[in-house]
Amino acid sequence: MALVNPDFAEELKAFGVDTALECFNCGTCAAICPLIFEHFPRKMIRYVQVGATEKILQQAQELWRCLHCGLCTQTCPRQADPAELILGLRRYVVDRWRRA
Amino acid sequence: MYNPRDIINLIGANVRKSRNPFGIPSSQINTWWREAPGFTRRPGDALLLTGLMYQAIPYIEATTRYLERLEDSRWADYLRFAPLSRYIPSFVVGRGLACLTSRAEKKQFNRILVSMCRLLTQSAADFFYHPEMDFYSGILLYDLGDQEGFVEHAKFVARNLKLHGVQKIITVDPHTTYALKELYPKYTGVSFDVQPYFALLRPHQVSRGNGRPPVAIHDPCFYGRYLKVSEMPRQLLTDLGLPYTEVRNCGEFTSCCGGPAESVSPALNREILDRRVAELKASGAPVVTFCPICLANLLKAGLPVEDLASLLDRNW
Ligand code: SF4
Ligand code: SF4
Repeated sequence: MALVNPDFAEELKAFGVDTALECFNCGTCAAICPLIFEHFPRKMIRYVQVGATEKILQQAQELWRCLHCGLCTQTCPRQADPAELILGLRRYVVDRWRRA
Repeated sequence: MYNPRDIINLIGANVRKSRNPFGIPSSQINTWWREAPGFTRRPGDALLLTGLMYQAIPYIEATTRYLERLEDSRWADYLRFAPLSRYIPSFVVGRGLACLTSRAEKKQFNRILVSMCRLLTQSAADFFYHPEMDFYSGILLYDLGDQEGFVEHAKFVARNLKLHGVQKIITVDPHTTYALKELYPKYTGVSFDVQPYFALLRPHQVSRGNGRPPVAIHDPCFYGRYLKVSEMPRQLLTDLGLPYTEVRNCGEFTSCCGGPAESVSPALNREILDRRVAELKASGAPVVTFCPICLANLLKAGLPVEDLASLLDRNW
């Protein structure tokens, strides 16, 4: 059973991520993303929304597949800025590694 | 795919040591200016800051060739569970890497910077260049998520540029342009007036390129989408009478060449690159681009491709 952290989206604001709750999971970003990889980045954004911190840490390496190409942000209908969200998650994970 | 943690640690340590991602003195990487025609160290209005990206390509390519061989080898699985740095004796650290780089490649990328310098001079741009003030922007640290490392380095660069009275900066690649224009004000509190070199070019003669076959434009993501300056190079080509053709996915909707994946997964880079190459090949025209990472990546795919500066310089 996965533990959820209801304050996760709030915690991420310190890492420059403050748009996760704008996302309504339409999947446009995953459809346009050149990685064509397991609903990326939508899946990660959903994890943030539901506070699945552990899931993100388990799959952290996937965050570094992102090319920072910005296509997802360009096409997101909710201005959720998924590309920046992925970068913010990298900052969060690096911080966790360093503090571990 | 390599463990990003190892890559971040390596690159972070190199930047702290040498102020560039390779752990080699910047003076050893930055030699293009020795062949540049009539540049001046001062006075001048704007500092030409290359950010060392064009000069870095031969070093990145040498690194990638090494990583690519490892990633595809039977060691790949083993590497996934071990700190990468143990298996890379000196590939991103100092002299070992310098020995792996090819002289021809260095010359090829240095020549592009010389072309930019010549184009700026011929356009009567009021600029100066000083090798000691030509800093790496730290953009790779930012992209990798090493925020602490990026901010420390960016503050060092911003402080030094301000100390030398620099207000205006001319950049030559999209990644450095983005870092200085968008990230430095946000994370260092220091703002500069930043413009890419092609914004300052003023062709005098029109129609020099009449009768040439068209070139296909590959827009780099950061110029096309993030900075939205795709029109400028197109205008220059038009002004010089050089025909161009648009490919599927261009301008704000350009496709990534895959280059940014290179530091953590050369194999992923190849996968994305192959798809972009197919789009570019469909145009049937030789390709022109304006980013050193895109250029190196497309060259690797065997495409006929050149930098915008080389094309402009030849037809100026
Ligand atoms: S980030 Fe934007 S494009 Fe992606 S699923 Fe959410 S709303 Fe849709
Ligand atoms: S920025 Fe990253 S997540 Fe977004 S489309 Fe590009 S590769 Fe995919």
